Amino acid sequence: MVKRFDAKVAVAGVNLDVPAGSFYGLLGPNGAGKTTTLSMAVGLLRPDAGTAWVLGHDVWSDPVRAKALLGVLPDGVRLFDRLSGAELLAYHGLLRGMDPAVVDQRARELLDVLALADAGRTLVVDYSAGMKKKIGLACALLHAPRLVVLDEPFEAVDPVSAARIRDILHRYVTGGGTVIFSSHVMEVVERLCTHVAIMAEGTIKRVGTLDEVRGERSLEDVFVEVVGGRTATGEELAWL
Amino acid sequence: MALTQQQPTLRQPSAALFVRLKLRVLANNMRGKSWRIALFVLGLAVGLWWAASAFFLLAAPGFTDNVDAAVLASALGGGLLVLGWALLPLVFFGVDETLDPARFALLPLRRRTLVTGLVAAAMIGVPALAAVVATSGLVIAAALLGGWVAAVVQAVGTVAGLILCIVASRAVTSAFATMLRSRRVRDMAAILLACVAALIGPVQIGVVALLENADWQRLLGPARVIGWTPLAAPYTMGIDVAAGRAWAVPLKLLITAATVAALLWWWSRTLESAMLGAESAGPAKAAAATSDSAVDQLFPRSMPWLPRNRYGALAAREARYWWRDARRRAGLITFAVIGVVMPVMVNVSSGGLSGSTSPVMISLTMVFVGVIGAASLANQFGYDGSAYAANVVAGVPGAVELRARLMAFTTYLGPLLLVIAAIVAAFLREPADIGLMLGSLGAAYGSGLAINLFVSLHGAYALPETSNPFAINAGSGVAKSLLSILGLIGATAVAIPIVVVTALVGGAPVWLWLAAPAGIAYGVAAAWLATYVVGDMLDRQMPELLQAVSPNR
Repeated sequence: MVKRFDAKVAVAGVNLDVPAGSFYGLLGPNGAGKTTTLSMAVGLLRPDAGTAWVLGHDVWSDPVRAKALLGVLPDGVRLFDRLSGAELLAYHGLLRGMDPAVVDQRARELLDVLALADAGRTLVVDYSAGMKKKIGLACALLHAPRLVVLDEPFEAVDPVSAARIRDILHRYVTGGGTVIFSSHVMEVVERLCTHVAIMAEGTIKRVGTLDEVRGERSLEDVFVEVVGGRTATGEELAWL
Repeated sequence: MALTQQQPTLRQPSAALFVRLKLRVLANNMRGKSWRIALFVLGLAVGLWWAASAFFLLAAPGFTDNVDAAVLASALGGGLLVLGWALLPLVFFGVDETLDPARFALLPLRRRTLVTGLVAAAMIGVPALAAVVATSGLVIAAALLGGWVAAVVQAVGTVAGLILCIVASRAVTSAFATMLRSRRVRDMAAILLACVAALIGPVQIGVVALLENADWQRLLGPARVIGWTPLAAPYTMGIDVAAGRAWAVPLKLLITAATVAALLWWWSRTLESAMLGAESAGPAKAAAATSDSAVDQLFPRSMPWLPRNRYGALAAREARYWWRDARRRAGLITFAVIGVVMPVMVNVSSGGLSGSTSPVMISLTMVFVGVIGAASLANQFGYDGSAYAANVVAGVPGAVELRARLMAFTTYLGPLLLVIAAIVAAFLREPADIGLMLGSLGAAYGSGLAINLFVSLHGAYALPETSNPFAINAGSGVAKSLLSILGLIGATAVAIPIVVVTALVGGAPVWLWLAAPAGIAYGVAAAWLATYVVGDMLDRQMPELLQAVSPNR
């Protein structure tokens, strides 16, 4: 897949093969093209070249079937935040063509499990950042997709909520689902993922199972080496 | 938590820094985007054209050596200008928030620095330039009538007037933004806005009277009075000198200064709450949990006919948004006021002379109301912003999406249009004309919806994510006006058959009965057809539309 913005090439040919049933981590520094890649993969952004396949369905030529199998939590995208949590879930459920009774039952369960039931009729716009992530995740999972694509699911989430989200995702993968998520938090990726891809400057630098990528070292060391970060000398910022 | 330390004296930035910042932001907005430059140039040309015509109109009394005419021109022209600056942003254009006050919330700026900086920055822009060009006509008039002393005084007055205009527009929009955001006072805000818009009425009567009876002497008295109100005090100073009333100048300066000071104080009060509002949307309300199921909560009780499926969910969400989103609510409220006041004014003032209003005039004004009503949808996807991604990910069929949106909007506008027709009919004491009114409204509203579906897809643009419902980006201000004008013209063109038929058959009783069903059927057919055609286009352009309405981060 390739995407250019004006003169800047955001994603210069990314080819990812995500095995079904894997817990896939997409790592990269800010501006590496993670969000662009994931947006193209789920049908939010039209690629200049290439395409994306979800369990045999082309996202760009057969969007209806492909999108039915997908659950998405985009990053930096607003929810319809002038609805309450329950209303938002009902909206997403019906939008996916689900039966109203099933929507009601799953919405109640999701709100309970994610500890959002207490918010009652508070509008999502008044939620905290962590609560917004959780309700977004609930919307992505509501229709029981076969593949969930999460962009920065752990950003701005408190440790208790993060633990709960990890549990839910873990159970989901154990039950046969597939998860792709982007992050730049090494600990989370190391703890959860079966497969890892490291992305920088619009291309994939390393890819494989977690053990293949990190080898004997820690994932953080590999990441910094691949991305090419600088090491501090201790001289700069002396005034701070 | 308290952090105390010896503070180094902080140097406050000068107003020039804000001006440079604004110029830089404007330039960066246009960098590499030729269509934005083109729009900017177009806006500049239109603004300057208007300004030039106003310039000659205001300078004319100087050439004809007519002091009375100069008093009229300065008082009425200045009054209209200040009133326009204060009120038009509320109704039409939105205020330029290139420098959003909320962005400065974390910087250690004194309120005085911030306010002067923002005022200085607000002077950069096409409207301010046009106002300066137009009112400098008065300086010419004063110079020709009263020599260079009058000209200098008038120049001072013109600058003071510009400051007054800018401060008034900022204060009014800022105050209304704060009000509309809080739900408790939204009803009060609606009433206030109605009063403000009703002020446009008397001005309109004045202009119509001015044009119809050329009895200038009768207007001289009111003009002198207006010259003493803050509306026109700065603009009449030089003319006063020319007329030998130099003693009035210090008094009028005082009036202007006091008004500016009061408005600045008001603005800085509301500015502070606007800045705070951006940081936190206020304490989460003590929201009572309900026993209703999630789906029941989504669907408004007042819309029991909606099916519990994809179409119903879209319509229910849209219906909730038209009330919960301050931006959309502001649009609805202003339309409600304009929709009632405008046709009453036009029909009463045109019928006032001839005794009865012609059916064509009634039909035309109703077409105008219907078209304006539908114009609220011209950027319907822009209201959603990046939240529209949810519909893209779910792969909603375009025709279903559009039909649901029209349904939800009509739930508000339909009853409103009925009420408008009833009020206008009552005002004209012509209850028999209500069929004609409903027919014209229905045809115009339906055509407006059809045209605005095209506009909303092909002309979608992102709105800034601010809490001010009147805010738009500087660059898109021109685009917004241009698109809405195109939409208005297009919709009127589509709706014109009903006016033509009315003109041909006149007040024939058959048509008075037939107009309502025929017009409404015409409107429904136009809107229905458009949902299919535009829905098909939408299916192919969903990601592009999402890009267009997502604000650049």
